[in-house]
Amino acid sequence: MKSKNSGKDFCMFALPGMFCFFAVVIIPFVYGVYLTLTDWNGVSKVKNFIGLKNFSGVMRDGQFWTSLLLTFKYVIFVVLIVNVLAFAIAYLLTRGIKGQNFFRAGFFTPNLIGGIVLGYIWQFVFSRVFVSIGESTGWKLFEVSWLSDPTNAFIALVVVSVWQLSGYMILIYVAGFMGLSEDVMEAASIDGASGFVKLKSIIMPLMMSSITICLFLTLSRAFMVYDVNLSLTAGAPYGTTEMAAMHVYEKAFTSRQFGVGQAEAFILFIIVAVISGLQVYFTKKQEVEA
Amino acid sequence: MGKRIMKKVISSGLVLALAVTMLTGCRFGFASDPDDPNEETKEVPIDTSVDTFEYDTSLSGTSITLLNSKAEIQVALEKMGAEYEKKSGVHVEVMPVTDGDSPYTKVVSLYNSGTPPTASILDTTDVIALAEEKAADLTEEPWVAEAEGYLTEVNGKIYSFPLCIEGRGIIYNKAVIEKALGESFDPASVTTQSEFVELLDRLVDAGIEKPVSMAKEDWSLGAHQLQYIYETYEGTSEGAQEIIEDIKAGNVDLSSYDRLSQFLDTFDILKKYNVAKGDPLGADYDEMAIDLADGKTAFWFNGNWAWPNISEAGASEEDAYGFLPYFLNDDKSDFANQKIQASPSKQIMLDGQIATEKEQAAAKEFLNWIVFSEIGQQMMVKTCNIIPPFKNNPYEPSDPLSADIYTKVHEDKAFNASAIVPNDHWAVLGASMQKYLAGRSDREELTGDIQKYWDEQE
Repeated sequence: MKSKNSGKDFCMFALPGMFCFFAVVIIPFVYGVYLTLTDWNGVSKVKNFIGLKNFSGVMRDGQFWTSLLLTFKYVIFVVLIVNVLAFAIAYLLTRGIKGQNFFRAGFFTPNLIGGIVLGYIWQFVFSRVFVSIGESTGWKLFEVSWLSDPTNAFIALVVVSVWQLSGYMILIYVAGFMGLSEDVMEAASIDGASGFVKLKSIIMPLMMSSITICLFLTLSRAFMVYDVNLSLTAGAPYGTTEMAAMHVYEKAFTSRQFGVGQAEAFILFIIVAVISGLQVYFTKKQEVEA
Repeated sequence: MGKRIMKKVISSGLVLALAVTMLTGCRFGFASDPDDPNEETKEVPIDTSVDTFEYDTSLSGTSITLLNSKAEIQVALEKMGAEYEKKSGVHVEVMPVTDGDSPYTKVVSLYNSGTPPTASILDTTDVIALAEEKAADLTEEPWVAEAEGYLTEVNGKIYSFPLCIEGRGIIYNKAVIEKALGESFDPASVTTQSEFVELLDRLVDAGIEKPVSMAKEDWSLGAHQLQYIYETYEGTSEGAQEIIEDIKAGNVDLSSYDRLSQFLDTFDILKKYNVAKGDPLGADYDEMAIDLADGKTAFWFNGNWAWPNISEAGASEEDAYGFLPYFLNDDKSDFANQKIQASPSKQIMLDGQIATEKEQAAAKEFLNWIVFSEIGQQMMVKTCNIIPPFKNNPYEPSDPLSADIYTKVHEDKAFNASAIVPNDHWAVLGASMQKYLAGRSDREELTGDIQKYWDEQE
């Protein structure tokens, strides 16, 4: 009786979702992996099986490894800054300061603006507003556009990404802080725990579930960054800020090496999957129940 | 409780207001806003009284799609389609390729989803890549005879309709030069590289500190500038192909190839007088048009497609703008110093795979209508504002840049050469050119990059 019912329930509730998931995620993914083993150029009718030749093409594509290295650098900066900043701001915004709802909403706003629009707005800021500030004040920092120097353009990318991502993470951390039980905090105070000890031994472990989510979201988003990269720098100056996802796109569609591009995308997927999988595993282990 | 709700309402209201002001703020921030309601568009009247074109009435009611990758003529094409529909009963739907999408990517994805456009406006390299697999054979079409010298053949067959001639060179603003020098300026008086430098120096002495604008965009540097080294090999597309094959095969040593060193000499001159010399990679495209129109600069390396920008920056069609050749040396008899480059750039390819026979016939008729009907001829030049490569079209373009190219093409002051290079040439070598422009690499490194690029091609 019970098994019969659960079969029907499964069909009713899980099947539509499963179907969509397979149709738009699993099947395209498997098909994509298959394409890495062929010489398909996106147009032709015949697909010849060529084994691992595309992967050896990836090995020879030095620019891919450079952009991957740059992506790692970018991910480290973005993940660290976003989470530290969001955690700190969320902490402040749950202290009951005046107008905290307004601030919460305000910090979240950048997240509502799409990456492309955001990139163009900041491009204007970096290459026009900053330069005219530099012209009128004579500050060396703003003398030339940040986007025309490889190091500064990279910093610009990090700044904009942090600005965009922080709001979302603040929201999650705020929810985490609101969920902290007052009893536990009070008990800790009575036991004589000072601010820092309380943070380290009580708040952090209890916030671990929020941290898990935030780290996962920032990690995967930072690895896959494309829109901000495209609209803010588009790889400029001279291809030095081209991140992995953008390189994959360029390889497939601009250089028209579909197979190699697809293989690079697959490698990028493995890297992101392994890193975020490990991250979730290790942070989950730290989670405690109050 | 009530207070909390109140607070929430106020805060979300504020956020909304903020978001709205931000969004509208950015709308007004861009110089070239195509949807700007304040902008007045001047309608050029089309005379539709005479029409001797013979329409195939059996095609009436057919619907075709046209993928347009030339954003600036989107509205004009829609008008043309509507006019054609009035006459023939064939509905033409013009689909734009959105900004940031490449036409090739768009057309390939449409093919893969089984709904390709009946006709698509593509670049020549795209047509060559797709022709034999997807396109309809147009070799027998009547318009072929009118476009002699401007056709692209793939293994002896014609698969594409040359839509327009585009040319590039060093754009000058005559009024600015004359005002600065206090004398009349005849562009034909500048015939060599040294004479050009002399003119630049005189302009500097006359108070125009940095008289040249130079786009930092990779397509400008990698395609429009660098491709001179292939196209000036002998001034023909075949010659360009020949030198490319030689470079690929290693028969030509780039470090001693004279066109490359000559090109870099000229590039260095432009670089030296560049208005954005302090930060060449921070140069802004819209600002260059404004600088040229306002007289902050006198020259801008670009092509006739820059006219909408210059016109938006305040220039009118009566102003005198034109092209100087991209001078390569001091030899007065060298064609590169006498002629500017002008060649067909966009091509219309018809789908020969999925489109029904009727749709193909309608699309073919539309192309013939553009070339042979009085209305199509007018709209091509007056509404789309392009230079048609068809001999039988009697209309002349009205904007000064296109008009200059039109005149030069007819007076044999233009050379018709376009190099067919791999699709990522502009992106990869554009980056190398940017590095050189910014002074972060030298000639040796740039030459090495070019050689390496060609070595990697199969």
